[in-house]
Amino acid sequence: MPTALKKTLPHVVLLTYVALILIPFLFVLISSFKESNLEIVTNPFGLTGKLSVDNYVEAWTKAKINVYFFNSLYLSVSSSIVGVLLAAGTAFALTRMKFITASKWIYQFVLIGMLIPGNVLFIAQYMLVRDLNILNTHWSLFLPYTAGALPLSVLLVAAFMRAIPNELEEASIMDGLSAVGLFVKIILPLTVPALVTVFIINFLGNWNEYLLANFFISKDSLKTLPTGMVGFRDSYQTNYKLICTGIVYSVTPVLIVYAFLQEKIIEGITAGSVKG
Amino acid sequence: MKNTLRNPYVYLMFIVPTLVLYFLFFIYPMLQSVYYGFTDWNGLDEKNFVGFENFVTAFSDEVFRQSIWNNVIFILFSVFIQVPLIIFFAILISNVTKLQGLYKTTVFMPSILSTSVIGILWGFLYEPEEGIINGFLGLFGVPDIYWLAEEKWAMLAILITNAWQWMGFFIVLILAAILAVPREINEAAGIDGATAFQRAWYLTVPLIKPIISVVVMLSIAGAMKVVDIVLVMTDGGPINSTEVMASYMVHESISNGKYGYGTALSIIIFAFALVLTALYQLTIGRNQERIEY
Repeated sequence: MPTALKKTLPHVVLLTYVALILIPFLFVLISSFKESNLEIVTNPFGLTGKLSVDNYVEAWTKAKINVYFFNSLYLSVSSSIVGVLLAAGTAFALTRMKFITASKWIYQFVLIGMLIPGNVLFIAQYMLVRDLNILNTHWSLFLPYTAGALPLSVLLVAAFMRAIPNELEEASIMDGLSAVGLFVKIILPLTVPALVTVFIINFLGNWNEYLLANFFISKDSLKTLPTGMVGFRDSYQTNYKLICTGIVYSVTPVLIVYAFLQEKIIEGITAGSVKG
Repeated sequence: MKNTLRNPYVYLMFIVPTLVLYFLFFIYPMLQSVYYGFTDWNGLDEKNFVGFENFVTAFSDEVFRQSIWNNVIFILFSVFIQVPLIIFFAILISNVTKLQGLYKTTVFMPSILSTSVIGILWGFLYEPEEGIINGFLGLFGVPDIYWLAEEKWAMLAILITNAWQWMGFFIVLILAAILAVPREINEAAGIDGATAFQRAWYLTVPLIKPIISVVVMLSIAGAMKVVDIVLVMTDGGPINSTEVMASYMVHESISNGKYGYGTALSIIIFAFALVLTALYQLTIGRNQERIEY
């Protein structure tokens, strides 16, 4: 094989793959500017010259995408932060405090949670939030999201904290720090890289979560982006230009964040799944 | 000074909130599930204990058997079609120097998007008239296919969408392992006259075996818990042909009010997951010696 071909062939194959990833987005983006379904059929990749933004205005007002977006954002952020902090506190107590036997048992007990696939608990959790009278409120998502992330978060943060040298805490305690002070002023700042990783894993998981969000929330104004978008699609079944506009709205913010933080995001999610 | 880290109140303060949440949303529902699974509860009336009836019903239930089979198809498709492709693409990306970053970032992208949005997006691509897939196949004279409405195509359509979403994630996972292998090994083999294919097959693949087995495991776990994409794209239809275990459990419990039966199904799913994990640990997972370069 000539060298030139040898060099370009892998790129041809890989660029085909890249095209397979990007073309769907491109198609949706172009369709979102079209005026009718007929135009999508007759001229799928052409633009008619005038870029109509009417679809964007219409989708925004009809679908309340801003509401869904905000709901998703604050639910994912708040439950991820609370989850990360709880996990960090627990990991601190388990790895740095001197209750070794108890810690061992509690650690094993929490890790059992990772064996249980989330779907399996779905019905019982539904009953639980119904009995707690929080069905159809954001609590019904906040609590299971926060709790659901705990086993993996504790595992990852504890693994990181174990590696912090003992001398550091001995010195701090000599200087008069309490256990809480040690946690807040010394251990927590040192653990930030692990906390960021855990935050990213949990945030993306919650941001994209569909099953619980779909069945625990039926009030339109409380819906998150994944379920809100499905509802929107179902009410505008064949109005493809509007549906495409909705897709563009829901995908763009994530892609922008991804463009800036890709290294950290990739590192975070892959680390989470391999160690998990 | 030792007493600082022996303060039981501080210890409890750090531990208790986590344990309470964990107990409430993991352990308690798990115990409840086991209990509900043996009753005929419909969510409203009294629960009656029915023994193993739900479990017996489940295995003679045509639709549930179909959904077990669909999960098996998901597993087979991931392990025998996706995993080889994933390894192939990861090796390909590891061998190029130009554009490597672009390939990595692009293929990973779908895995950060919400499954439900991807389901909607692909639903549009599969549209018989407006979608580009039929448009593309039409160029070769293939007549319009009703991807999501025909029994024989719907499952394939979902499998393709699922592969599109997750392959890049695993490619990046394997790519990281390949790039961690010292370059010299590959270069030495190249100097000794090994072709690119030989190097990939006799060097790279054996060296990254541990991560490949992790990918197989994660694929199986993913195939067992697949549900969102089915609910969004076909909702189990047409005529239950794409129903998977988890979606059938949701339909039976929430939509049909058979909570007792639904939880029995969820226990079966859990049991399958445990058996698969154990089987894996006893076979592939067991001989995982650490590879030293």
